[in-house]
Amino acid sequence: MDFFKKTLDPVIAMTTIAVIDIFLFLIVGACTVGGGETMMTGLTAKAILGGDTLDRIPFWHLVFPPTFGYWKIYISLGMLFGGFVSAVLANEFFLRIPKRLSEWVLITIGGLLMGIGIRLAFVCNVSTFFGLTPQMNLGGYLAVSGIIAGAWVGSLIYKKILEG
Amino acid sequence: MSVAGECLIAFIFGSIVGVLVQRSRFCNAAALRDAILFKSYRNTKALLIAMIVLTIGFTSFMSIGEGHAMHFDVGLNQMIGLFIFGIGMVLAGACTVSTWVKTGEGNVGAAWALLFTFIGMFLFSLVWSVNYWPPAPVSMTGNPNLEALQFGFANASTLQEKLKIPAVFFGIIQAIVLYGIYRAIVARENRRKAGGKVGMMSTSRTSDRAQPRAMKEAPAE
Repeated sequence: MDFFKKTLDPVIAMTTIAVIDIFLFLIVGACTVGGGETMMTGLTAKAILGGDTLDRIPFWHLVFPPTFGYWKIYISLGMLFGGFVSAVLANEFFLRIPKRLSEWVLITIGGLLMGIGIRLAFVCNVSTFFGLTPQMNLGGYLAVSGIIAGAWVGSLIYKKILEG
Repeated sequence: MSVAGECLIAFIFGSIVGVLVQRSRFCNAAALRDAILFKSYRNTKALLIAMIVLTIGFTSFMSIGEGHAMHFDVGLNQMIGLFIFGIGMVLAGACTVSTWVKTGEGNVGAAWALLFTFIGMFLFSLVWSVNYWPPAPVSMTGNPNLEALQFGFANASTLQEKLKIPAVFFGIIQAIVLYGIYRAIVARENRRKAGGKVGMMSTSRTSDRAQPRAMKEAPAE
């Protein structure tokens, strides 16, 4: 298929996603990823530590009681599936492993900060740009100012590492 | 709608997003990092257009009381949390969407970032369980709680209720502002392109030896 032979214009891709996100907003709610990831964290922790141990951590029964019936989980799993199918059809699926130790360190720190940031804010970048801000939620403007400042600081660190 | 139906719709939506993001190479981290570091706005423009479409769409339906708007109190934790997230996103080289899509492409680094995002979330759940901040959604009242650094709840619907003006009116204003930013970026790109061409022409007139270098640099503009 021609669609899988060339790169798609991101404006076309994101406009299409925005239109179907409006339908999702009408049916269940706007697209978000952080909530689903948190629920997956809870389910994984429950599987590893056991339900009794997890129950002793108030967060997991006051804020996010782990359940498989949380629809936001399936947005993330769908993205994983869609990305895999698309990569296979485009002959772009292959294992890419970071080669340098510094890359592993950056990714590890970056991942940790992303997880901490999402839980502290109760929102992720997707709900910031594709949920809260288009709904003109005050939290969206606070989150946008935070993420721009964070990306700026992150870029300065990244630049120092690239140069150094 | 049943829970299974909700989950199925979410999975179909996610799959479409996965395909479109994989084919377009869109990444939220790149939208901000490339604009800041390299003055490259390929992803930033796509992000702005999506936000314009969503703003008009969401506020139109919110005007008639339709849709499931996000409803929870907001506060300084949104700003601080996304500040931390923003640093992490740039260091990891991927946002929440692209970590999933890149993992699907076989990117082990993205899967590693995802694993540590989960670990970060779990660590924060332990911290939260000690100080209970920020407030859990179950204890939110919708009113400002300055002691807990919470400002309450406000969105296009609350504006409509208070000012008796349809939410879409405010949405159109926001969309115009976003479009203004988009136009400013396009104008900046056009100026850079024009500058690059002028630079190329003047270099080719002054020195034949310099021409290959100027030609080589032009595509980067």
